[in-house]
Amino acid sequence: MDETVARYELKIETEDDIVLVRRKARDIAEACGFDLFAKAAVTTATSELARNVWVHAGRGIAVIERLSDGVRSGVRVAFKDEGPGIPDVERVLAGGYSTAKSMGLGLSGSRRLVDEFSIESVAGKGTTVTFVKWTQY
Amino acid sequence: MDHRKYMRVLKLDESELASRRAFFELTDEDLARLARLRPFAEKYTDAIVEEFYKLLLGHAETKKFFPDPDTIKRVKRSQREYFLGLFTGKCDLAYLEDRLRVGNTHERIGLSTKWYLGAYRKYLQLISEYLFEELKDPAEARAAFASIQKLVYFDTALATDTYLAAKLEAIDRHQAAIRELSTPVIRVHHRILLMPLVGAIDSRRANQVMDSVLLKVTEAQAKCIIIDIAGVPVVDTKVADSLVKTTAAVHLLGAETILTGITAQVARTIVQLGVDISTMHTLSRLAEGIELALSLIGKSIQSTKRAPRRTSKRTVRRG
Amino acid sequence: MKGIIPILRLGRTLLATIQTDLRDNVAQAFQEDVLLALESRGTNGLVIDISGLETVDTFVARVLAETGRMAKLMGATTVLVGMRPEVAGTLVRMGYSMEGVQTALNLQEGLALLRASRTRTTSSQRARRH
Repeated sequence: MDETVARYELKIETEDDIVLVRRKARDIAEACGFDLFAKAAVTTATSELARNVWVHAGRGIAVIERLSDGVRSGVRVAFKDEGPGIPDVERVLAGGYSTAKSMGLGLSGSRRLVDEFSIESVAGKGTTVTFVKWTQY
Repeated sequence: MDHRKYMRVLKLDESELASRRAFFELTDEDLARLARLRPFAEKYTDAIVEEFYKLLLGHAETKKFFPDPDTIKRVKRSQREYFLGLFTGKCDLAYLEDRLRVGNTHERIGLSTKWYLGAYRKYLQLISEYLFEELKDPAEARAAFASIQKLVYFDTALATDTYLAAKLEAIDRHQAAIRELSTPVIRVHHRILLMPLVGAIDSRRANQVMDSVLLKVTEAQAKCIIIDIAGVPVVDTKVADSLVKTTAAVHLLGAETILTGITAQVARTIVQLGVDISTMHTLSRLAEGIELALSLIGKSIQSTKRAPRRTSKRTVRRG
Repeated sequence: MKGIIPILRLGRTLLATIQTDLRDNVAQAFQEDVLLALESRGTNGLVIDISGLETVDTFVARVLAETGRMAKLMGATTVLVGMRPEVAGTLVRMGYSMEGVQTALNLQEGLALLRASRTRTTSSQRARRH
């Protein structure tokens, strides 16, 4: 029932790209009619996760979609990279993985800002992190 | 309300559809049978629709929904489409959406469920009469009628659901309005704000309270905000957690939060959260909160002294 | 001054206003400039104005906290001012606590805070001497 109204694919290869991805996500959130705090949540989560890609994988892409379920509007952002992957996702999310501490904070923090959150990661192959945030009504 | 919204409010997805079909025992065989009956449907649709509207127009209370000949013509056409829609052999999400659109229309014009159910009964009676007349073999007619009945009841359930969904949506809208009204912020002094929370707080409202507090503190550049929760009947762990987070966020801005109206039960709930409350200002009485707020901005309430009584000098006139 | 973030001197206080996106090299240059400026005698306060920051993620928060710690090692107190309401809300919802950093509503409040902490330091120093 979720419909993609618009879709944008951006590269994450330089640190400047993080800002571009973040701005795009913000623009979509604005277009959806998110309030100030929801916009900040989307922008911050995007910034965190985009930076994770740049820091840990060096390069990747962000796919930003504007969604509609017939009533609410939403933003879906997926970050895909072919980096080292996250060996123990649950532990990192719980903040218990000390060497990936910096990544853990960003991941668990971002998860708390959004409505839907998922991670697919295979060690040595790559990672895909996706989140969705919806408007209230 | 838009019929797509009903899909969401009623959670009508593939699994719900499958569940409903299973309970109404509406099988693929039934649907196939209905598809085969399409010629029957097309043959008798006009007669059935005419009889159907005779009932609706012959009854004073339902007649008023069809005030003029144009309306009647229009609805008869829609009714014809609806009737034929029972014989497509399909019952998927698209079918659901389509039926909801019909229900949506009826709900919007205010046709109440009793007319709805009464109408469906008439429908089934008319269909059964024509069906048993058309299909000479009684066993075949019975099987056909059973399938039709399943789908008609299935549709009836959807139709009554739209009424429910419309009411739920109205309640939601009212709740939103109430939330708006219940979180005013008052400036009690130059740099002190007061937010008296009244009524039940769910997690959505708690979130809004936090956002509202942060916006108002920044807007007013207030040094202090007093949040009084004496008017909140239940403070569960979620609400307590939200208040603690609000306090932390206000602190990040460089201001202070004072929670007043704390009862013993609330104090227990907050402590049980296990968060660091050493930096939180909590009091039971609002008056104390105001005094504390003033002290935080370097002011205090003083009692006014009575002006000393002038002693009258008695002059003695010599004379 | 190496970096693009301007640092002004107000008496014994440094005032830095961050309005651009903090990139790695920008952050690093900023911290170097701050430390350099703090080397001047008598400078013992740092106010960082973040009213221009719409988004503060953990990277930015870390840079700010680090700057505060560095400044402290050089004997200066740091105060963040002008945090936007949505930034505060987001940081708290993320579960990120800006530990070790003082905050104030605006520049005026920030300077008052520094004045107050200086008075406290002087009087405690005097107390220790006796």
